[in-house]
Amino acid sequence: MTGVSLSRWTMSYFAAALAALLAAEVLMLLGFSFPSASVEAPETLVLVHLVALGWLSLLLCGALFQFVPVLVAKPLHDNRLPFATLCCLLAGLALLLCGFLQLNGSSGSDWPLLPAGGSLLAVGFALVLYNLGRTLWAGRPLPLPARFVVAGLCSVAAAASLGVIFTYVLAGFATAAPLTALTASGLPLHIAAGIGGWLTFTAMGVSYRLLAMFMLSPEEKRGTSLAAFWGGVGVLVLAVGGGGAAILMNGDPAPILAAAAVLMVPVLAVYGWDVAWLYNRRKRRRLETNSLMAAPALASLAMGAALLLALLALGQLPRFAGAVIYLLAFGWLSGLGLSQLYKIVAFVTWLECYGPVLGRMPTPRVQDLVVEGRARTWFYLYFGTVWLGTIALLFDQELAFRWLALVLLLATGGLIVEFVRTRRLADIDLALRGENAPRRPRLLYALVAQH
Amino acid sequence: MISRYIDLDVRPILRAGGEPFAAILETIDRLAPDEGLRLFATFKPTPLFAVLGAKGFGNEATEMGGGDWQVLFYPAGEASDAPSATPSPDHAEWPAPVREIDGRDLDPPEPMVKILAAAEEMQSGEVLAGLLGREPVFLFPELAKRGHAWRGGFDPDGTTYRVLVRVGRQGHEQ
Repeated sequence: MTGVSLSRWTMSYFAAALAALLAAEVLMLLGFSFPSASVEAPETLVLVHLVALGWLSLLLCGALFQFVPVLVAKPLHDNRLPFATLCCLLAGLALLLCGFLQLNGSSGSDWPLLPAGGSLLAVGFALVLYNLGRTLWAGRPLPLPARFVVAGLCSVAAAASLGVIFTYVLAGFATAAPLTALTASGLPLHIAAGIGGWLTFTAMGVSYRLLAMFMLSPEEKRGTSLAAFWGGVGVLVLAVGGGGAAILMNGDPAPILAAAAVLMVPVLAVYGWDVAWLYNRRKRRRLETNSLMAAPALASLAMGAALLLALLALGQLPRFAGAVIYLLAFGWLSGLGLSQLYKIVAFVTWLECYGPVLGRMPTPRVQDLVVEGRARTWFYLYFGTVWLGTIALLFDQELAFRWLALVLLLATGGLIVEFVRTRRLADIDLALRGENAPRRPRLLYALVAQH
Repeated sequence: MISRYIDLDVRPILRAGGEPFAAILETIDRLAPDEGLRLFATFKPTPLFAVLGAKGFGNEATEMGGGDWQVLFYPAGEASDAPSATPSPDHAEWPAPVREIDGRDLDPPEPMVKILAAAEEMQSGEVLAGLLGREPVFLFPELAKRGHAWRGGFDPDGTTYRVLVRVGRQGHEQ
């Protein structure tokens, strides 16, 4: 019952993440990488890691530094460490991306950029694990959404470890047989742990709480939620642990990964059932933009899973894996991230500015910081474009995909303008703001007392 | 730093003629390194001080009135006073609430706004009762800053959080 203060550096994470998202969309527009280059091309690796690490992981880390303390009702273990963590992650990412460009010879240097970047990223994620781990440890016994976060953190440890192994082997620093075997066949494990365990499973857990909180749905302990958790943990252990064991024993991980993909279906179905229940049982009939726009993201997850299974059954997964990953990364994870950012930025800004004067003077409501109509237009454009882009990829329409990337860039840019306006209190009625009102918050960090 | 105290009320056991020693030791064994025990008993449990002292716990006993005692046990070397944003350890009887706010059906952060606004209008020492849908984690630091004391906890069914806020001196900022 000690209460939770604002996370000082969360806005810096969000800003860096959004910059990475814009950069990734510019790369897609320019035809720098996939689908113009092949899925395995170094250029595609640049794009994938810009999205997975630069955009999605930084977004999730920034959100977790604020949200894990709320989940367990304990303060963040260390509110200063996230800045050093962010520096490690950004520097690591920059070196990693340059390292990928070395692979096709477009960078002249022969410095070991890949292992350097991988190592820095590993340090960054270790700091994230330490800080959130200590916070979670203090909050035992953990509520269910926090257990999803724990599983997600274990997955990012697995994904980062595999990534570091890849960089050391590719740079020729590691030659041990098990490590080269993992590098040769372990890419699906790296993807399963990263996109499946870290990004998706954590987002699922957080969504249970966020959706219930903002739609005023009952937060009951439900057997289905528990089933989704243990089922998901089982699938992840099977895919990453079982697949890894198969590779280390010189076996073929493909059957294990296919089994994990099939077992994922009931887990996602149970999760979908829970989410539908939360929407149906909500006390708040009129949905706010953040809850409304989480729906197309959740639909993208369902469509992505269906597409994955269909392609697997048709034996076409290797050819169209890019379309599945695009739909999951931009429709599901980015869509959910953007829809929740819309609310989190407004809430955190409101609390920072008006928390100290609540009850002492008239203050605007959280929803007065945003203009819902404008944001919804950008969201509709965003999701429509992602779905059309997925179709373009399935039909090998590269040029259409690039034009759609331009629209996606426009929609994302529009949303970012809305976030910045919210942060700068640009849409607050001047009369409401008043003469004695708090000054505008800093764009990139929160002014909060250190502890 | 003690981050929280685990409450154990052995008064019902003592009144029923039972022996609470096992329950106390069990709770002590389950404490995390940063946790203490807040014990409520019908007498000053002096024998326990030596037993738990041998296990490395300091204590701070306060008479609560009516012959009941509250004792804080904390790992020796730790100060017993809790961090600033923790509920008041003072367990003297609080007056009955003069205002009630049911925030269970309000959108967050409306309940917090209503409670802070109501506290501004109340006299020092008056108590406000709030019913909430979840633990108000962002409210507590604001209460602490304004010098208000509070107590709170979930109902046994885990769906309603009850909070009592005792208004501090007006204009008091910590």
